[in-house]
Order: sequence, then C-alpha cells, then structure tokens
Amino acid sequence: MGSVAQEEMSKTPNAQLSTSNVQLSGDASTSNIKNRTSNILRRIVDLIVAGVFIYAGAIKALDPVQFASDIDNYKIFPWPISVALAFYLPWLEIFCGFALVVRLLYRGALSILTTLILTFTLVTIAAKVRGLDITCGCFGHASQNWSFPSHLATNLGILVALLALWFRGAPNGKRSD
Amino acid sequence: MFVKFSLVRQAVILAALAILPGTGEAIYFRDKISWRSSILPSELVTVDQARTWAGNVIWVDARPDEEFARDHLPGALSLNEDRWNELLPQFLAVWSPGKKVVVYCSSLSCNASREVARRLRKEAQLSDVFVLKGGWEAWLKKR
Repeated sequence: MGSVAQEEMSKTPNAQLSTSNVQLSGDASTSNIKNRTSNILRRIVDLIVAGVFIYAGAIKALDPVQFASDIDNYKIFPWPISVALAFYLPWLEIFCGFALVVRLLYRGALSILTTLILTFTLVTIAAKVRGLDITCGCFGHASQNWSFPSHLATNLGILVALLALWFRGAPNGKRSD
Repeated sequence: MFVKFSLVRQAVILAALAILPGTGEAIYFRDKISWRSSILPSELVTVDQARTWAGNVIWVDARPDEEFARDHLPGALSLNEDRWNELLPQFLAVWSPGKKVVVYCSSLSCNASREVARRLRKEAQLSDVFVLKGGWEAWLKKR
C-alpha cells in the first residue's frame, strides 16, 4: 500500500494529496479506536464509582439510626448534627452516584464525591491519631469489622478513581459542565 | 445529556436535591431516634430505677475485659464488642424471657453500653434492654 502510494505520489501532485488523505484517515481511525477504548474504560470506572456510592448510600439510608451512632463515635459533632448528617449524607451519595450513571450534573457530582471521600479519609486518620476505636460506618454493617488499613485503602482507591475521572474529562473530549 | 451548568451550580443542585428525601426520612424515623440524646429516653435507666428491679434484672458490663476483671457490679456479666461472639452465648444462657437487661460502661460519655444494648435488641431480638445512665461511675457514687 505504501509503495503504490509513493509511485502515485511521484506521478502527480493529486496523488500526493490522496496519499496524505489515506495516512490521515489511518491515523484518525487509530485515534478513534484509542478514544473509544478510553471512553469505555472511563465509563466502567464511572459505573464502578457510582455503584460504590449508591450501595454505600442505600445501606446507610436504610439504617440512619446506626449511621448517626457511627458518626457520633468519631466525637467530632454534637449529637443533633450527627443525626442530621445521618439523614442527609446517604442521599447525597445516592444522588451523586446516579448523576455519574446518567452523566447529568456530572462534574458537580464528581466535586461533591471527591470532597466527601477526602473528608471521610481525613476524619478516619484523625480518629486513629486520637486513639478512637471506631467502625467506619461507610458501608453499614458490611464494614463493621474493617481494619484501619483496609478502610484507608478503600477510601484511597475511590479517591484515585475519582481523580482519574476528573483529569480524563468527559467522553470525546467534551466537558459535561 | 450534557447540561451547561457551572460546577458550583451543579453541586448546589445535587446538595439541595438530597435535602428532600433526607427530610422525608427524618420524619419517617422520628420515633426511632432522638435529636437530643444518642439514646432514646425510654431506653435509659438510672441506678435508682434499676435497683427497684432487683431479682428481675441482668447487669451487663460492656467495658473491656481488663476493666471488668478489676471490678464490676455484683453479679454482672461481661459482654463487650471485642469478644461479642464468644460472650453472647454465655449471656443468652443466663437470660430468660421477662428479665430486664441493664447495660453499663465506664461513664456518661462512653458509647460501649449503647452499642451493646443496640446489638442485643437487633441481633438477639431482646426487647427489655436498657442503658444505665452515667454508667459505672454513677453506680460507684450511689454504692
């Protein structure tokens, strides 16, 4: 293909033009495949992160009494604030998770989830430093026996995924905001 | 699908949307949680009240093993979260229907008694479970 094209190129200027078009279209299709793969990967990460937050939110929304108690164990807020957060935060996680799934209010959801996971991580570290023996409450009873390192590793894993979604932008180079 | 909103506006919309179901849930659970105290008033019992149940009460010490070994209420059983699976069967062997269970930990600010009481209600399906107001410290003062 390349040698035929070179011959044609030497004959006429038009042939040279058509060869560059062939090369361009080849490059474009490679780039398209890369873009598509990248979009699929990003979509998978989107769905995993969304699934994690929807699951975590749903479990806590089903048992706000337990979640209020988990927040209270961190000894940061007075009890009424812990109760208010126990009713509010799970729904915020669920709404942001769905926003990632349907890609509506996408970057707003990313910013909230990133802020939440950063806060959860800092609060967990602070609790450990203060010597508090607590269950994280992140996934209700499922996380009751999590050790501090596994709790921290999960949070950091989610944070990395969120940052990847931030820096890779929306599919096809579009920005969703 | 891509809505042209600024990042902050998007975040504010999501944050505001979450208030609605959160408020609904707060109304739905209004009888199951108190906004004033982490323990419902009906689940708290004072030392004096608990003493009137003499003979019909099981005292549960939710403090760590070392503190229980050092001293505890006369006849109290140890049931803490560190050895929950091991100690729960021992507690259930002593428990009988109609008996009131009073759980205590170190002081007014400790959470262990609240957690143990909650787990007894939820996991062991017991109903008459109370938390001792002021915990071990309150008992010492009234001894």
